Amino acid sequence: MDMLTQIIFNSLIAGAIYALVALGFNLIYGATKFFNFAHGSIAIAGGYATFYFNKILGVDVYLSVLLGILCAGFLGYISNKLVFSPLRKKKSSHMIFMVASLGILIVIQAVISLIFTSEFQTLSSSLASSKKYIFLTGIITKTQLILFLSVLLIMGLLVLVLKKTMLGKTISAISDSEEIARNIGINSNRVISYVFVIGSAIAGVAGIFVGFDTGISPTMGMSLLLKGVIASIIGGVGNVYGGVLAAFMLGLIENFGVWNFSGEWKDAISFAVLILFLLFRPQGMFGKK
Amino acid sequence: MNILKLKKIRKHFNGVLALDNLSLDIKAEGITGIVGPNGSGKTTLINILSGCESLDGGTIIIDDSLRSKKMRAYENSIFGITRTFQEIRLFEQMTVLDNVLVVLTEKNVLGAIFEKHGEYHLMKAEELLKVVNLWEKRNELAINLSYGQRKLLEITRALSTDAKIYLFDEPFAGLFPEMIKTVMKIIKKLKEEGKTVILVEHNMLLMRELCDEIVVMDNGKLLSKGKPEEVLNKKKVLDVYLGK
Repeated sequence: MDMLTQIIFNSLIAGAIYALVALGFNLIYGATKFFNFAHGSIAIAGGYATFYFNKILGVDVYLSVLLGILCAGFLGYISNKLVFSPLRKKKSSHMIFMVASLGILIVIQAVISLIFTSEFQTLSSSLASSKKYIFLTGIITKTQLILFLSVLLIMGLLVLVLKKTMLGKTISAISDSEEIARNIGINSNRVISYVFVIGSAIAGVAGIFVGFDTGISPTMGMSLLLKGVIASIIGGVGNVYGGVLAAFMLGLIENFGVWNFSGEWKDAISFAVLILFLLFRPQGMFGKK
Repeated sequence: MNILKLKKIRKHFNGVLALDNLSLDIKAEGITGIVGPNGSGKTTLINILSGCESLDGGTIIIDDSLRSKKMRAYENSIFGITRTFQEIRLFEQMTVLDNVLVVLTEKNVLGAIFEKHGEYHLMKAEELLKVVNLWEKRNELAINLSYGQRKLLEITRALSTDAKIYLFDEPFAGLFPEMIKTVMKIIKKLKEEGKTVILVEHNMLLMRELCDEIVVMDNGKLLSKGKPEEVLNKKKVLDVYLGK
C-alpha cells in the first residue's frame, strides 16, 4: 500500500463531504444572501435520522438513508417556513437572519442530544463497510466509494438543474435580485422554499456519510458547516463548481498537512488556508475582482 | 373605459403622507402621463400599483376586479401589470438573453424544473431584443451593458411580460436621442396594440407628444387631470412647477 495514494483517496473522501455541505450552503446562500448556521446541524440531523430508522427501528439501510435525506430536507423546509420566511416578510437585516439561524442550530443540537445523548454514534456497520477495494495502491471502502460517486451524481444533477432548466434561471434571478424577480411574477417565497429543501437534503446526504465514514455527534454540525463554508469562500461564494473544486482542494491540503505535521493541525490548516484566501484573494479562486 | 380606478388611496412613510387620499381613474388603451415636482408621490403611486409597496388605505380596482390591500408583488402579473424602475434594475449577473427568457418562460416552480426554454421562447426573445438592438449582445452579462442599453433591456424585460398595463418610471432619463426615438416607438406601439401605458417623466416635450392624458400630482394629491395642452398651461400647474 502506497501512502501517497492512500492520502489522495482520503482527501477525496473528505473533500466529497465538504463539497456536499458547500453545495447546499452555496445554493441557499445564493438565493437568500445570509450565512445559514443551521445548515450544519441539519446535515447532522440527517445523519441521526438515518441512525434512528436503521439502528433503532431496524429499517433497511438504503431506505433509512432515503428517510434521513427526506428528514433533512423537511427540516430545511420547516426552518424556512417558521423562521426565515416571516423574517423576510419583515425585511429583517442579514444579521438578524444569521442570529436566527444560530438559534436554530442550537435548538437542533439540543434536541438531538436529548434524544440520542451526546455520545458518538456510528452508522458504519450498516452499509457493508467491511467491503474494501484496492485501487492502484490505495484502499477504499465500499461506503467511501458510494459517497464519492454520490457527490459526483448530486453535483451533476444540481448543475443540470441550475444551468439547463428554467428553475435554475429562476433561482439565479432571485439570487440576483429578489425584488425584481417578484416583480416579473416569480413567487420568490416558493422558490426559496424549494431551495431550502434541496440544499438541506444535500446537507443531509453529507451528514449521513459522515455517520458512515467516521461517526456523528450532536455538536459536529458547526465544524462540518465551517469546512463547507471555507470551501465556499475559497471557491467563490455562490459559485457551485468553485465550491466543489475548493472542497476537494481543502481535503487534499488538510490530509497532506496532517501527514506532514499531525492530526491536531487539521482544523488549523483549513483555517490558515481560509485566512490566506481572505487576505490575498477574497473573491475566491474563481471569483472576479 | 377606465382600466384603473383608485379610490382615496393613502400611503405614508414615517409620518409623511406620500399619497393623500388620492382618487384617480385611468383610461384603458391610452397613454397617461404623471407629472409633478420631486416628492409629489409619482413613484410611490407606481410602487403601489405594481405591488412594490403596500397600501395604507383606500381601494384599487383593476379591470373591474378589486385588488387586495395585501397583494404581493409577484401577483401583479396576474393583474397584467408590469413596470420599469427609475434606477435601472436588471438581473445583473445574468445574460441579456436570460433577463428576457426568465420572464417569458414558466414561473411555476415544478413546471420550471423540467422546462428548458423552447424555440418559441427564443424566437420571442429575439423579436423583442432586435427592436432595441440588443440581440447582438444577447450573451453578454447585463452588468456589462452601457447605461442606455441597460435601460432598453429593462424596458424589453417589461415588454416580455405581455402585460395589459405598463408602468414606466422615467424611461427617457439619460438616453441618447436615437434611444429616445426607439422608446417612443415602443410606447406608441403598445398603445396601438390596445395596451395601457402609465408614464412618469420630467421631459414635458415628450409628454405632450406621447400622452393622451396628463395627471399632475402635488404633495400626494391630484392637482389637475386632462389633455396635455390644457393641463400643462393651467396656472396652478405652472405655479407648482415654476413657483408662484
